[in-house]
Amino acid sequence: MTESLKALIKACRQGKADYQDLMDRVPYARFLGIELRVQGEELTFILPKNPENIGNPTLPALHGGAVAGFMEQAAIIFILLEMGEPKVPKTIDFTIDYLRAGLFRDTFAECRITRLGRRIANVHISAWQKRREEPITIARAHFLLSEENN
Amino acid sequence: MTDSNIPYTRMDVCNRSLETVKHSRNLGMEVLSAEEEGVRVRLPWREDLVGNPDTGVLHGGAIFAMMDQAGGMANSCRLYPNFEITPTIDFRVDHLHAPTPGKAVVCHATCYRLTDHVTFVRLTTWEEGKEEGEPVATALATYTRMKIDKNGRVVS
Repeated sequence: MTESLKALIKACRQGKADYQDLMDRVPYARFLGIELRVQGEELTFILPKNPENIGNPTLPALHGGAVAGFMEQAAIIFILLEMGEPKVPKTIDFTIDYLRAGLFRDTFAECRITRLGRRIANVHISAWQKRREEPITIARAHFLLSEENN
Repeated sequence: MTDSNIPYTRMDVCNRSLETVKHSRNLGMEVLSAEEEGVRVRLPWREDLVGNPDTGVLHGGAIFAMMDQAGGMANSCRLYPNFEITPTIDFRVDHLHAPTPGKAVVCHATCYRLTDHVTFVRLTTWEEGKEEGEPVATALATYTRMKIDKNGRVVS
């Protein structure tokens, strides 16, 4: 991991930098327009309603791929902030269930780490629109926690 | 009915779906071929699709979005000349290794089983020009079939 990224993560934890800066480093996160909200120590990720992310113009509904990318990126940021000594999370696999149509409205996501090992992180991600109890998608993913300087 | 009597090809169907799906167009996706056995779809490397700004590697989510769309097109190719919409039920992708920054990727998607209500799709993505070598990602997915009438309404 680069020193500049380590420094940014540290600054975010100390409240000296905005968590959004960590998100906005990632070009694809900006492409989707991902935002995040911190309440106490809870992180909620937001994919604001955006016509660029539409997959079905008739419904209209969000592109399933945009929702999946949003959830994967949410998990990556979540892991980065959870690790004592941060390493770069690289996606090993990502599995998603589509439960309801992603309507053309704001989408929210939360992550839960099932296990954080030295090399592997197991994460569960849930995304919803109307209410948290009615997820539109749930996903399970594994990340390799890489020591490499990239 | 032979294929030659149908006024549109599988390629037309796939291109039509790309035209209407704004997000896939934004990703810069391109259909390279569309046959009964499946489709080949290309995703360019682009700076705004990068997942790791320190390496320039494409985001797994961008590869996922392209593959999910390719799976839908594989369904269209299998269902041709009929047209149905096929929402994704479940999709699993394995990222076998990172594609080289600056290189486009190409996905092959095949619907290998079609039932009354469900399609089963297998997908493999390679770096462009290395389609004989190690894939960068493989995926398995299921989709549900929704038949629509000529006005685009779901009938079953």
